[in-house]
Parts: sequence; C-alpha cells; structure tokens
Amino acid sequence: MTFDVEIVRWHAVASWTWNAGDDVCGICRMPFDGCPPDGKYPGDDSPVVWGVCGHAFHLQCIQKWLQSQAQTDQRCPFCRRAWEFKAAAPSS
Amino acid sequence: MAQFPGRSPTSVAMRRIQAELNEWLLHPPEGCRLESFEPLLNWVILVQGPENSPAPGLPRLYDGELFRLAINFGDHYPLEPPEVLFVPPSPVHPHIYSNGHICLDILYDGRNGGWSPALTVNKIALSLRSMLASNTNKARPAGDMDYCQRTRGRSPKQTNWEFDDDKV
Repeated sequence: MTFDVEIVRWHAVASWTWNAGDDVCGICRMPFDGCPPDGKYPGDDSPVVWGVCGHAFHLQCIQKWLQSQAQTDQRCPFCRRAWEFKAAAPSS
Repeated sequence: MAQFPGRSPTSVAMRRIQAELNEWLLHPPEGCRLESFEPLLNWVILVQGPENSPAPGLPRLYDGELFRLAINFGDHYPLEPPEVLFVPPSPVHPHIYSNGHICLDILYDGRNGGWSPALTVNKIALSLRSMLASNTNKARPAGDMDYCQRTRGRSPKQTNWEFDDDKV
C-alpha cells in the first residue's frame, strides 16, 4: 500500500557551532556561539579566528588586544607565543 | 554610566566582569570568598592564609590569618589589568609591601608586565594564594618603609616594577 503525500509546508531547523574547542572566548568570556559584547549578531558578523598556536578568540576581541600591545610584541593571551593568524579555521 | 559616577566602563568590561562574577559564584577558588562586589567595578575578596607549609618540616607561615584583597576594574578591562592590592594589614611577604602593593608580574602591563586578558580574578586569587603558600621567609621587601612613603596615595599600577626575583 502506498500513499501519495503532497508537502504543503516545510519548516527546517538547523543548528551550528564554531569548532573552537572551548565554550567561551578567553578575552570577553562570552560564548563563541553568541557574539562579543560589541557585536550585534552571532555567526558571520562575530567571526572566530585562530592563531597558529591553536587558540581561538572572537576576531573583534583579539584585534583589540593586539592593537593595545606594542607592534613588536604581539602575543597570544593564553600561551604568550608570538601571535600569527592561522589562514583558515580548522575543519573536522 | 549613572551607576558609576565619573566612570565610563566599556560594555565589554561590564559584560566580562559580570561573566567573571557568575563563574566565581559557581566555582570560587579554594580559600577565597567574595566579600563585596558592589559597585561591580570594585570587588573585595577575603583570602585565607594557606594552611599548608611550603615543604614538610617547614613552618606554616600564614595559617589562621585572613587578608582582604581589593580588585578595582578599569574602564578598559580586560585589555588592561585590574588594580590589585591587599587592604592593610597585608600579608608579611618579601613581595608584598605594607601598604598592600604586590610585586607580581601578572598584575601589570607595560614594559615588564605579564598581564594577559586571558587571566581572570579567579586566577589572580589563586596565584596570590600560591605565592603565600610557597613562601619560606616571612619578611617585608627591602626598602618597604621608603617605598610606602614614595607611593603614598598612588596606585601600584603607577610603580615601575622590576620582576627579577623568581626565587621567592
């Protein structure tokens, strides 16, 4: 026995998360899935970036920290290694 | 902000301090109690002298003592460290002056400073307690009286610290 079903309305729900390994940004201590305190929307408007050392922060947050430091002394807040942006987010 | 006369903390600072308060209330560091967080920019923490001795056979230098630690957040926290000092009477320690100023690199930014925005009040309190726990020489820093006179009414953040003594 078969049914012919016509889909009248379809409501999709998806969930997403940053693959950052930690729940909160170490600088603002807000969740990565939310936005930093001066961001309006989570997601692409509040991107998460990685350093080559592997530590992640909101882009806005790490930029403010680096700007407050001497040009010659830009370090990761967690491991204090020289800060360098990783080219792209790691995929898993 | 009307709440803090003469001050204008950034929204980043306010939300971060609030987040730290929530974390503290859920998981306070051992031997520490938050005595006051009103106004939110000025915390007072009760710190119990560590009950253990630095090594078997050595005296317990601060057992039974209780200290008050003042944390004053700046408008640009956590890009700048909070002002951290003991409310006199401060613990007798080679890196703590009688006016409460503490010689510890993570509390300061600038040339020699070791402040990082990844540090929290929780971690600062733990560091200070372990600084007490590992001490074997219950004495004031050299030049304590002189330092306290020179820095009267000034924040410890204005002192040009040298952090060259890793032994104590």
